[in-house]
This record gives sequence, structure tokens and C-alpha cells, in this order.
Amino acid sequence: MATDDQARFDQTDWEEIDESVDHGLSANTKVVLAGLVPLVLLYAYDYTLVGQYEPTFGFVGWGYSVTQLDWLFALSLLLFGAYGALPLYQAPRMTKYYWGEFKRNRPAVVSLAFLAGIFTMGLLGPLVISPPETDILIPYQPPLGFTIGMESVVECAGPVTEAGGQRVCHGSLAHPFGTTGSGKDIFRSVVYGMQITMKIAFITTLIVVTIGSAVGTVAAYGGGMVDEILMRYVDIQQSFPTFIAYLLILYIFGGGIALFILLFGLFSWEGTARYVRSNALAKVEEEYVKATQLTGASTYHIVRRHLVPNTASSIITDVTLLIPAFILFEAQLAFLGLGDSTIPSWGQVLAGGRDALPYAPWVTLIPGLFIFFTILAFNFLGDALLDALNPQAEAESE
Amino acid sequence: MTEPLGDEPILSVRNLKKHYPITEGVLSREVGAARAVDGISFDLHPGETLGLVGESGCGKSTAASSIIRLEEATDGEVIFNGGDRWGRRPEDGSHPNDVTRFDDEELMSFRRDAQMIFQDPSSSFDPRMSVGASVAEPLMVHGMNDKTQRREIVEDLLERVGLSADDYERYPHEFSGGQKQRIALARALVLNPELIVADEPVSALDVSIRAEILSLISDLQDEFGLSMLFISHDMSVIREVCDRVAVMYLGEIVEIGDAEDVFSDPQHPYTEALLSAIPTPDPRTDRKDIELRGTVPSPTDPPDGCRFHTRCHRVIQPADIDMVQEHWRSLLNFRDQAAAGGIDVESAREVVRVEAEGEEPSDAAVKEEIRSEFELPESLSDAAAEETLDESLDLLLAGDEAAASERLGSAFTTPCEQSDPELTDHGDGHRSACLLHDADQESQDIAAADD
Repeated sequence: MATDDQARFDQTDWEEIDESVDHGLSANTKVVLAGLVPLVLLYAYDYTLVGQYEPTFGFVGWGYSVTQLDWLFALSLLLFGAYGALPLYQAPRMTKYYWGEFKRNRPAVVSLAFLAGIFTMGLLGPLVISPPETDILIPYQPPLGFTIGMESVVECAGPVTEAGGQRVCHGSLAHPFGTTGSGKDIFRSVVYGMQITMKIAFITTLIVVTIGSAVGTVAAYGGGMVDEILMRYVDIQQSFPTFIAYLLILYIFGGGIALFILLFGLFSWEGTARYVRSNALAKVEEEYVKATQLTGASTYHIVRRHLVPNTASSIITDVTLLIPAFILFEAQLAFLGLGDSTIPSWGQVLAGGRDALPYAPWVTLIPGLFIFFTILAFNFLGDALLDALNPQAEAESE
Repeated sequence: MTEPLGDEPILSVRNLKKHYPITEGVLSREVGAARAVDGISFDLHPGETLGLVGESGCGKSTAASSIIRLEEATDGEVIFNGGDRWGRRPEDGSHPNDVTRFDDEELMSFRRDAQMIFQDPSSSFDPRMSVGASVAEPLMVHGMNDKTQRREIVEDLLERVGLSADDYERYPHEFSGGQKQRIALARALVLNPELIVADEPVSALDVSIRAEILSLISDLQDEFGLSMLFISHDMSVIREVCDRVAVMYLGEIVEIGDAEDVFSDPQHPYTEALLSAIPTPDPRTDRKDIELRGTVPSPTDPPDGCRFHTRCHRVIQPADIDMVQEHWRSLLNFRDQAAAGGIDVESAREVVRVEAEGEEPSDAAVKEEIRSEFELPESLSDAAAEETLDESLDLLLAGDEAAASERLGSAFTTPCEQSDPELTDHGDGHRSACLLHDADQESQDIAAADD
């Protein structure tokens, strides 16, 4: 029972509580600030003091010029850590419960491990592996365990054998996934492609989730005119031909993967906003929202603390379907020759191998398989997350 | 908080109205209004529990959310004298403590003095928040930034409502409905309010748990001197916890008084009907089971006069008619159905045909079938009424529904639909709104004048 010095609800003197006292930053905000400050400083340093093509971290001997996209990627990782991973750490009971629900879905666990692998490799791989380089002496080297006739290759990096009067080139550990027609190592290309895939996934997610969930929850909670204006804008934007705009900008100004990510990120949150709104509309009617209104909480508090977390499951599921769409779309554009040819994205590697399909299928197949499995993994993950985060949906579907 | 209130009620509701506009078309033209709460008045004294009872859809919950200002009232005053707001504002025409006119700052302080418990324990907690955080949330909203202080208060409260301090970290899905309602009580108490509005707090719970929660509520009420507005559709729950009862029907209070008086001597026929629905454990007791036929009329178009007259078992007969009360009720039902075009002569004919094994039914048999359908006797004891009824049945059989309805409408009217009953006092603040009492009152007045 209560001891004498324990604070009790009926002994609170509300006159003494000064609401103007600092509201105390939440842990999430602290993490974001702690990350944001050095990030902004570094960005400012890179932007003002370092030349465009000079390595940003030349002073520590890292010869890499950080691009705008990298800064955005870093920002999205920071926000993901603060608002995705940190809350899970802060609420261990809930995390344990979610994990218990999630791990019942075996394929999803495998998918998660696969995606975690892609993420780690994509993030750290380029730091230790040098980028793929053109080497015209070793085109179309086969992957480990495959062979190709010597007539297709100039030199063979692996062992060469004679079979039926024909000299055959074997794959070797030097190029475990083989090489492309210009002699670029496919393994390295795939690792660099992972980073591009992760950039696409994280940055578009950041853009779509931020705008989509803000618009969706505010429209649902605000209702009336707010709802009307926001959702009619969504209607207008949905009819905007993003693809044509992309082509137009590409032909007039040129553009790379950054243009792709920003343009498609900024013009594809409508579906999320709509979906979030419909979910939030149901949540607005819940009694806990009324109970919070009754405490005198502000609209921001209710949207931020109750509506967004409770529509998070719908946001996450929507995003796990959106990310594959972006990855696939990038690959399609690359295949059509409309992508960024300066980067080794999976789509670019795949597109580069289409002429050699009859005799060197691996150039197309290997990045193709990575695209396939990544998309499959995202879909499995989305499915399992929906079930784990939203037990009602599962109960209803049964 | 210890301001002497004397006889002053902590809460006075004056002619409170909440109308929901019904709009049509692209321009949202207002075509009418659902009058969910249509002018209710009552007082709640410090430490008292007032029960607000009525069937689903009568506006109890709307009244609650308008009083506590979850929704803006359309009209009327809600005067809250709790806290230390005692003439804080100079009179400027409106009452200084009128909740419906509070500005943001006053409203925030009102939020600390009046809280609410909701009906559905499964949806009253954010599933993504630990219950401790949910209970502590009001403290945070009101600016208590000291985390340990918040936690101490909440842990103490959780223990007071019969849970353990360790439950702070647990999530709503880990609790049963009864436990969640205890936590809801803790959340309502955490700001140390003086008034609690409980909106059907036990109707979603098992009967076995109900009693525990009710006794917890009354214990806490005694300990902290809470005043409570207790809303329920269940008369037996009301009897257990309430000092006074207000019975609502279709947005109006039809009877209000001390619980004892209302339960032992109900004055309004609707209260009688509600009381007759309480099951009695003793099978030998002779109880009159009053069955209310039909549903609550729509609040968009409430009946004229006494709103209960469409279902009242004691609906008044006009001076020129004298028949068995039940038959009069049936006759009015028949009249209303005829007016609504709801009498299906063909199906009655079909029923008789089937019973008569295919023979073409006689008109007399069909009339009898219709009569039995509306629980009308073979012949009314009032000869004139019987004649009218028979004529209108003939008209109906002839297919002239409009004429039948016209005939019935002109012959059978009740005073109940012509004048609005006023609240009459039965002593000790026990008041009810029924024309039966108006009539009594008048005859008494006449008797008094004669003396």
C-alpha cells in the first residue's frame, strides 16, 4: 500500500504544477537530435568546403564522395532507428508479444533474415569491397560451377579444360557470380546494387510514410473541411502522370537515381494516405480517443500518440507492398534504358545482360533472382507483420 | 478542493439540448435535426450518485457527452460548481460556471474536476500503450513532467482499484474486462476529480464481475467524496448504486426523484414498465409484467404531446370513450398502423385461407384475424367505438386504406397527444411528467377551489 512519502493522486496540488516547465524531450527526439546535429554539420561541411567530386571524408583517408542520396539515406536510417527500432527496445513486453506472433510465420522469419542480410551487405559491403570495374579482357566469365566456351571470352580467370575438342572456361572464386559483357564482376555489382535497393526502400518509405500518415491521420481526425481539402488534393495528385513527368525531366535536364527516388517518393503517398485515413477513421471512434480528448489533450497529442501508432500496422503493411513496387519499377526503367546507367543497380546489371542471354544467362539471372527474392521477402514480411501487429485482422480472416 | 458547497449542487443541468443536424445535398442544406437530448434539467449534489436510466437510443449517452463537453451542446446550461470555481467570473448574463461557455483555460481545469468512465472496456484503452502509460497520460497532459512522480501516483492508484503496481507495464490485451474497467476507474480518478460520469460502466461485464465493480465504485466514491452521474439502461444496477434516479425517454426526463421513492412508487407509466422488467428472484411474487410494444420513435420526428403516448399502457381515454384500458391501447396501435399504411389485409386473408383449407374466406373471418393480430377483442365494450372500428375494418377490406385511417383518426384521439405534460411534484423532489398527474392535480385544484 501507499507509504507516506509516496505521491498520491489525491494529494496533487495542480496549482503548483507549472505547465510552462520544460516538457522534457522524449527519448526518440533525443536520438533524432543527437543524430541530426552531426549529420547537418557534416552535410554543411560537404556542401561548402569540399568540392563536388572530392571525397568528403578525405581527412580520414576514406576516398568516397558522399552524394545527396547518401545524406537522405542516412537521415532515413536515423529516423527509422528513432521511431521504428527504439520504441521496440523501449517496450520490451510489446516487442516480445509481437515477436511471438511474428515468428509463427516461418517464411516471414526467413524473409526477415534475408532482408537483414541484404541490408547489412548493402550498407557495409561497399566499404570493404571495391566497386566493379570494367576489364575487357575477362568478359562473360561464368559463375562458380558453370562453364562457357572459350570463344565467348578473351581470357579465362578460372581453369580451362578440353571437352570434345572444345576448350571450356570454368568459373572460379575470383569471380564467384561471373562477370558481365564488359568484364565487371557481378558479385560486386550485386553488393553495390543492394545498397541502391536499400536506398530506394528506405528513402521512399521515409517520404511516403511521413506524408501519407500525416495527411491520412489529420484528415481522419480533423474531419469536415480539413478532410475534404486534404483528400481532394490526394485525388488531384493521384491523377498526376508521374511517369511522364519523370521522362520529361530525364530528357530535358537528365537525372539519376536520386530523381527517380524523389519524384516517385513524392508522388506515390496518395494510396498510403487514403489507406491510413480509412483505418484512422475507425480508430477515431474508439473510446480511448474520447478518453484522451477528455483529458484535454491537444489534437497533435492525440494524432501523434494514439492515431499514428494505432494505424502503424496499416502503414507498415502498405509500405511493404510499396517498396517492392519501387524496386521493380526501377528495374523496369533500367531495362528499358531509362534508368541511371552510372550506378550498378540490379536493374542495370540485368538490362546489360539481355543480349548475352543465350550463352551467358547468369548476367541476367543473378540480379534477376535477387530482385525476385527481395520482392518475395518483402511480401512475406508484410503479410506476417499485418498478422502480428493487428491481431483483429487475423481473427476476422479466420 | 474543500470549498464548502453547502446545499449548492455540484452540477446543475438546465434545459440542456443536443440536436444533430440532418443535412441533404451537396450544399449540406439542413433539413431537420435529430433531437437526441431535448431539454433536460437536473441537479447533482456533492457526494451523490444520480442515475440516468432509459432504453437504448433515448439520449443518455449524448446527454453525458454534452454535459462533460465531449460534444458541444446545442442549447442550455451546464453549471459546474466544483473545484474552487466559486463566483470566479463576474456575472455577465450567463452563469459564471457554465461549462458550455468555458474558455480553453477553464475547460482544462474543468477536465481535472470531471472525468468519465466508458462502456466498452475493450476499446477504452490504447492497445499500443501499457496500461500504466494510459493511466498516467492525463497527468502528462496536465503538465506533470516528473516521471517518477507520475509512476508513483499510478502505481498507488492501481493498487487502490484492486490491481498490483507491477501491472503498470502490462498491456490492455493482458487483462480481463473487469480488470480493464478497474483500470478505467483508475484513469478517471488520476486527476482527482470531483465528478465522475459513468456511461454504462458495467453493462459490458459478466453479472458476477458487475457486483465487484459496483462495490469498488461505491467504496471509492465514499473514500474520496465523489459525485457521480451514473448512466445505465439496467434498473437493477441503478437501484444498487444510485441515491437519486432520473428516467429518460426520447431525449426528455420523464421522472426524477429519490431512488427509494421512484422504485417503490413509480409515477410515470414508463418507469413502471422499466421496473416491471427487473427480474425478481422469488417466483411466487405476483408481478405485473408490462410489455412495451413497438420501438422508440425516431428522435428526428418525436411524437406530439407526451412522447411516450405511442407506447404507453396507461394512455388516457378521452371523456366520451370508456373501455378496457388494454383494448384502448390496442385500438390506438391499430389506428397508428393504419395511418402508417402498415395493415396488410391480403396477408390476413391468406392466413384465414390457409386455416380454412383453401376455401375463400368470409369478410367476417378476415376481420377477426386482423383484430386478433392487433390484440383487439371481438367486440369493444364501448358501443360507439365498436361501430367506428367495424366501419373502418370494412373500409380496409374494401381497400380504402386512406378512408379507414381518416375514420379512425377522427374518432379516436387521446389527450396525451394533444398536450405536453409538465413535471408535477409528488413531494421530496420526486417529480414526473405525465398527463395522468396533471389531471389529478387539476381535479385537486378544483376540489380545493370548491372548499
